[in-house]
Amino acid sequence: MPAKSIKQEIKVYSTPTCPWCHKAKDYLKSKGVQFKDIDVSKDDKAAEEMFNKTGQLSVPVIIIREKVIVGFDKDAIDIELMKK
Amino acid sequence: MSVVNMYDTVIIGAGIAGLTAAIYASRKRMNFEIIAPEFGGQFMVSGEILNYPGIVKTDGVEFFSTFEKQMEFNNIKVKDESVTAVKRIKDEFQIVTDKGVYPTKTVIISTGAKPRKLNIPGEDKFAKKGVTYCSICDGPLFANKKVAVIGGGNSALEAVHFLKDIVSEINLIVLDKKFTAYEYLVESIKDNKKVKVFFDANTTEIIGDKRVTGIKINKDGKDMTLDVAGVIIDIGHQPNTEIFKGLVDMDKHGHILVDCQTHTNVPGIFAAGDCTAGQEYQYVIAAGQGCMALLKAARYLASKEGKDNTR
Repeated sequence: MPAKSIKQEIKVYSTPTCPWCHKAKDYLKSKGVQFKDIDVSKDDKAAEEMFNKTGQLSVPVIIIREKVIVGFDKDAIDIELMKK
Repeated sequence: MSVVNMYDTVIIGAGIAGLTAAIYASRKRMNFEIIAPEFGGQFMVSGEILNYPGIVKTDGVEFFSTFEKQMEFNNIKVKDESVTAVKRIKDEFQIVTDKGVYPTKTVIISTGAKPRKLNIPGEDKFAKKGVTYCSICDGPLFANKKVAVIGGGNSALEAVHFLKDIVSEINLIVLDKKFTAYEYLVESIKDNKKVKVFFDANTTEIIGDKRVTGIKINKDGKDMTLDVAGVIIDIGHQPNTEIFKGLVDMDKHGHILVDCQTHTNVPGIFAAGDCTAGQEYQYVIAAGQGCMALLKAARYLASKEGKDNTR
């Protein structure tokens, strides 16, 4: 079973116009997990934080605990959610 | 002993063409699968859709949501698998995926197309570090910064149209001497002081350190460097047809050759949408071809079973 209520441990860096971001967030919701959604289009500091942490300048970037997942990768998300 | 399920048709790809075929297959109560690693095609990354009949205005996200509801309404589930091969066995086929094998009497190929690459130094190195092929996804990351858009067709000018209210400056690098986009798009960026157009210019390199800092171009025989934080590449698309080479006839670019009824050269294999050699790549054409391919596949099956003699 996926871990529940780990909002602090899951972040999604996204932009409002990015379809893959919407898909990623919908997928996490369908799994019943909470996450922090960070809109990097409105927050320069958050965009810098995303780049510094991940080396990526592309959304979505999903961080589950320490694991960085670039793009909407369902298999990678599933693997991380299965970990306790 | 297990009984092998022989499908009427397997649809490969879940963009507009494939999804349309699936809607018709479902309503005809055919035994079918639609297989794709991702639900949704190129329309997903459209900032604006203004030319789909019956819809005044929408965007990729909203259109996708409508498609999801329509698939649910028709009880269609896209199999989340990647097709690795299609085998022809006499007059039937086997669709091989990363998770299984699907025997089928007919195949509909609707695998769409992917953005074409420039193939210049720096393009791979700075991918997702300032280089992007999706302006509406990553464009907002370049808010108030200078960018370059590479291309002079519809996609490139749509990117400029989307970015012009976000970024501080757009350097539009066009290989040809003029735009090849629709007039309304050219008009939409005309006289915008943020947009600097370089016609007849060749992009030769993308430069940077940890991320993109600029591009090199050659215009009128002169090398120039432009300082930009983002490079949006929109130079057209190439069909997703690598796995079908040797199975069906294609043009030199890899587009599958079909007649006006979506037949390929192989009886039982049909193709629809941007993976075909239609030259005009539009959502509404993909929908029409997807419908045609499914109906022709159904007619082919009926003909084989002696229930149809109209072909």
